Amino acid sequence: MNRTVLFVGFALAAALVIVLFSGLGKDPQAIDSPLIGRAAPDFALREVGTGKTIDLSQLRGKPVVLNFWATWCAPCYEEHPTLVANARAFPDVQFVGVVFQDSEEKIQKFLSERGRAYPTVVDEAGKTAIAYGVGGVPETFFLDRRGSVVAKYAGPLNSRLLQANLDKARTR
Amino acid sequence: MIAVLLLLMATPLTGAALDQKTYEIASLLRCPVCQGMSVADSPAEMAVNMKKQVRALLERGYTQEQILDYFERSYGQFVLLKPKFQGVNTLVWILPVLAVAIGFVIIVRTMKRLEQRPNDNKYLAQVRDLVRGKP
Repeated sequence: MNRTVLFVGFALAAALVIVLFSGLGKDPQAIDSPLIGRAAPDFALREVGTGKTIDLSQLRGKPVVLNFWATWCAPCYEEHPTLVANARAFPDVQFVGVVFQDSEEKIQKFLSERGRAYPTVVDEAGKTAIAYGVGGVPETFFLDRRGSVVAKYAGPLNSRLLQANLDKARTR
Repeated sequence: MIAVLLLLMATPLTGAALDQKTYEIASLLRCPVCQGMSVADSPAEMAVNMKKQVRALLERGYTQEQILDYFERSYGQFVLLKPKFQGVNTLVWILPVLAVAIGFVIIVRTMKRLEQRPNDNKYLAQVRDLVRGKP
């Protein structure tokens, strides 16, 4: 009986160690979204400043970086210069900012003060955020030329992370 | 007759029935920005938006299963407060029952072994003497 208990205890502990060990080295912010490998949910949202409608389906043909953000989100301030710099550095990639739970006045002020290099749209009822499974901001989705989601990143991006994910979107 | 019944079942809800069904389905969804709260109970703006979405889908005639699938396609099974009985999730349902069953077997076997053990009066007498302080 004692030997059996010892064996079962050892097997359970070993299984736990293997599970915990397999998690080491993984980036907890590289979220495994059910959307990865599937067509990105379409949207047609109003652009801040111009008022014109941006339709995601019209952006097919080039990789898209879809960044969900808000002016009340502190990490979004940290991330914004990286997005602007990379949008300027990669004109073959379409960057789009999607703002939710925010006011247009605050968005305009943020962009005027911190620079803009790509269109920003407003997700007024949060429907697009829900369709993309957004749980918080910032969250960024990388879409390939055909409009499929290839990666999702939760949290502020730096250039290294952004370009690593962008490579996945550009090579497909 | 069956066609009429199906038509009645597919008729979108309105009024109090719509409110009630919205609450029921929202209770099955996890608020993604909260700590273990359902969409129905959370005051967070994200949860409020999700609740509105549930209501809008019900108004369009979606069934409960279709609505849960809709949210699962975006958020994964994480969004379901009650895990589905499939894949690795099966363990969540099976392991507690298995643990109780194993515990029950261990208790029964231990009790049987204790019952089968012969009463050793010699040792009992020694213990009694020790308790009473006899040499």
